[in-house]
Amino acid sequence: MARLLAVLATMLFAAGAAAAPDRPRVVAVNYALAYIAERLLGDAAEVVYPVPDGTDPSFWRPSIADISAIQSADLILLNGAGFATWTAKVSLPRSKLVDTSRGLADRLIATETVTHSHGDGGEHSHEGTASYTWLDPEIALRQAQAVANALKARGLEDEGRVDDRLALLAADLAALDAAADEALGALSTTVFVATHPRYQYLARAYGLTILSLEWEAGAAPTGDELAELRQLVAERGAEVLIWEAEPPEGARAAIAELGLQDAVFPPLAVEPPAADFVAAFAAGIEAIAAAASRAESG
Amino acid sequence: MTRACALLASLALIVPVAAGAHQLNVFASVDCEAVTVEAKFSNGKFASEGEVRVLDGENALLTTFPLEADGTRRIPLDSVDHSGGLVIEVDTGSHDDYWIVTPEDIARNCGS
Repeated sequence: MARLLAVLATMLFAAGAAAAPDRPRVVAVNYALAYIAERLLGDAAEVVYPVPDGTDPSFWRPSIADISAIQSADLILLNGAGFATWTAKVSLPRSKLVDTSRGLADRLIATETVTHSHGDGGEHSHEGTASYTWLDPEIALRQAQAVANALKARGLEDEGRVDDRLALLAADLAALDAAADEALGALSTTVFVATHPRYQYLARAYGLTILSLEWEAGAAPTGDELAELRQLVAERGAEVLIWEAEPPEGARAAIAELGLQDAVFPPLAVEPPAADFVAAFAAGIEAIAAAASRAESG
Repeated sequence: MTRACALLASLALIVPVAAGAHQLNVFASVDCEAVTVEAKFSNGKFASEGEVRVLDGENALLTTFPLEADGTRRIPLDSVDHSGGLVIEVDTGSHDDYWIVTPEDIARNCGS
């Protein structure tokens, strides 16, 4: 069934690529960049997020037809910072590529994960870079500026209109930053745990301590996973669990039994349900601040 | 102000990248006659052993080849149906990676 849906999604994506020859097409590798592009372009171009519903865009493996459609786009917005591994496994036209975190090397966060041991040299780590850069509104603005520059340089929209829309987007991101600073800035002593390692840039921006698990988004935690969380409560004083998606029924009760408060903060690599980027980000800030407040009041 | 303090505090928490880290990276180039596959680890070493799998646009396996000792493999285009593009997978047994070759890649690099 999933395979059938993926094939249908690919056909629709490819059909869309062929159906509207007069309207420029901009491909974005994640929802955050698609949102930025839509804000800056209005109706001037079609913004395409090619990853099928329910698929993590970080690790999506596209089909040949997907790549053919992407290669024919007018602009391809990359996040950089190691996001979307598929972009390093295909030939993409350099003249159409925009790495929106290029120039931000000094702001990126290196990570490592000790994963396995085998004949290639014993136990070792696979290095990486924290990818969810847009969860720091200041970095999101820098990425938006990179997108705006690319749109103007390629003549995909009138320069004045792009500048006007960028100013509005910048104001929204500045308001988000101020709200996060106010709500989260005093929570440096609260120990958060995230169900997935997504929030490194948010943590750094607002001085939060966010430990990470590797739970499946939207799935109920297993007994082993709950045991791992229990250990973090005992050893690290974890107080608040951050879900990246609404957890299944019963999962919240299991968390409460461990003495934890919890909150949902969608990391916005995929479109959140019933809200756009700014609204979902603001709601996530409020949710984790409220959970921290509940934890403090005991 | 919070941001500045947060940045200073977080610098101490950012984990350094391990010196011995490696991943498999596969690259494939194409001309009119063949797809040339290269497989090397991110530490610069060639993958000297491994299986090269060639799949079509429907992810159906077309053929397999062993990697050469220098981490490469040349796949003659006339040995596979490449009309719908090719997916090249390399599996060393412990690491794997892929490269996607579209029909447009083949046409572009063949001068048509």
